[in-house]
Amino acid sequence: MATLTWERVAMATGPGEDPEAAVRQAYRETGLAEPDNVLVLPSPAAGAVAAAWLTGGDTVRRALEEAGLGASPEPDDQGAAASQESRDQGAAALRRSVGAALRSWEALGDPGRSVRDAVRTVPWERARSAAYAELGPVGWAALWDETGGRLWPQVNRLVNDIRREIAELGGEELRQATLDAVLGQHDAPWLSAFEGLDGLKRTAERAGWWWPFERLAIITERPVELHLDDLGRLHRADGPAMSYSDGFTLHAWHGMPVPADFGAAMSDLTVERIREEANAELRRAMLEHFGLDRYLAESGAKPVHSDETGVLWRVELPDDEPLAMVEVVNSTPEPDGTSRTYFLRVPPWVRRAREGVAWTFGVAEEDYRPERET
Amino acid sequence: MYRQGDILIMPVPEESAPRTLRPEPRDARGRLILAHGEATGHCHAIPGPGTLSGGFLHLPEGGRLVHEEHAAISLPKGWYRVIRQREYVPGSHRVVAD
Repeated sequence: MATLTWERVAMATGPGEDPEAAVRQAYRETGLAEPDNVLVLPSPAAGAVAAAWLTGGDTVRRALEEAGLGASPEPDDQGAAASQESRDQGAAALRRSVGAALRSWEALGDPGRSVRDAVRTVPWERARSAAYAELGPVGWAALWDETGGRLWPQVNRLVNDIRREIAELGGEELRQATLDAVLGQHDAPWLSAFEGLDGLKRTAERAGWWWPFERLAIITERPVELHLDDLGRLHRADGPAMSYSDGFTLHAWHGMPVPADFGAAMSDLTVERIREEANAELRRAMLEHFGLDRYLAESGAKPVHSDETGVLWRVELPDDEPLAMVEVVNSTPEPDGTSRTYFLRVPPWVRRAREGVAWTFGVAEEDYRPERET
Repeated sequence: MYRQGDILIMPVPEESAPRTLRPEPRDARGRLILAHGEATGHCHAIPGPGTLSGGFLHLPEGGRLVHEEHAAISLPKGWYRVIRQREYVPGSHRVVAD
């Protein structure tokens, strides 16, 4: 198997080679008995359902059933009706496969208590303390800057996106179950900073999120597809930005969760379509993609005020607060001699260009008098 | 009051600057960094003597504000507040990234 950089580990897709062996190694390394059974499931959503179902009480199971994620036969019949709001048909497929699997897992019996602390947290903390003792506070900070600190913001955002989508699917009970997971490939930022922990590192190289119990380990596979923009945020126009083999998907536009058909609609946006969008978050993404300056031009917006600081534009938006923007010109010309014009949105109560520019710096209109601008 | 791109440097009386804040460290090139450009990696910086703490800049000998894309600005000696330009987002606002 090729050795991957930690960044590639975090972003890897497709099934990993024999994740079960890696997880068993992680148990052995901490002195625990290996689990009797190992389940490999297709997605963190399926893993969270399994963990919640197998360890939760009646209340948890009832909540999952109500979300269409129970073990009752044909859960998708009621589930599909109850989940008209479901993001796409992937959710229905996921419910079907989770339901079938749950019915067979129950034969495995009691998984025992969670051993997450013993397998992950204790050895992890020991490795961190050892590094800290050896390097000191400054050395540790420098090591973190060079390793996990670079990867952490991007991976952490991905983890939060997945957690949010799982909560969309099954509510708070299911989100709680995600907090008991070891994050496998998404532990890469931390593991990149530590010595030792070979079992955890090997698991990270081969698996997605996993749930360790005394007698059962629930392992999940990595996504089938992952699409990021140049800032490392989930993003894709023509399909899910992240998808797992059981139909668990995340649709996102530059990091913002969106409905399944949102990306496709962005290719033929019009002023009318943007005006009709009822969700303010989605409309903002549309406006940014369309271009605020183009929107001003095509919507017939009128400049309402101008002075030496710039021009104030205003567009009325139905059922929403008006769009007010100041158009300002950079004082320092670009290398080609032109000056760059840019637009900044300001609060709708702004009536004068200077008032708007002053607001962008948090100062009063009458106080905004720069003696030099570049 | 001086403006360089998305940064406003506002003179303030010495008494208004808080005393208890710890000065921020200089970067590897020995400059005081007033603001990083998130997209370009360029920054607004003071190469000469001075301190920056809690958004307040003290230039005991005056100084020069530099940036890769903007003309430098000479600043007389004194105390300043450093203000980052922001943009309105309905319900809140966010800092402008250049």
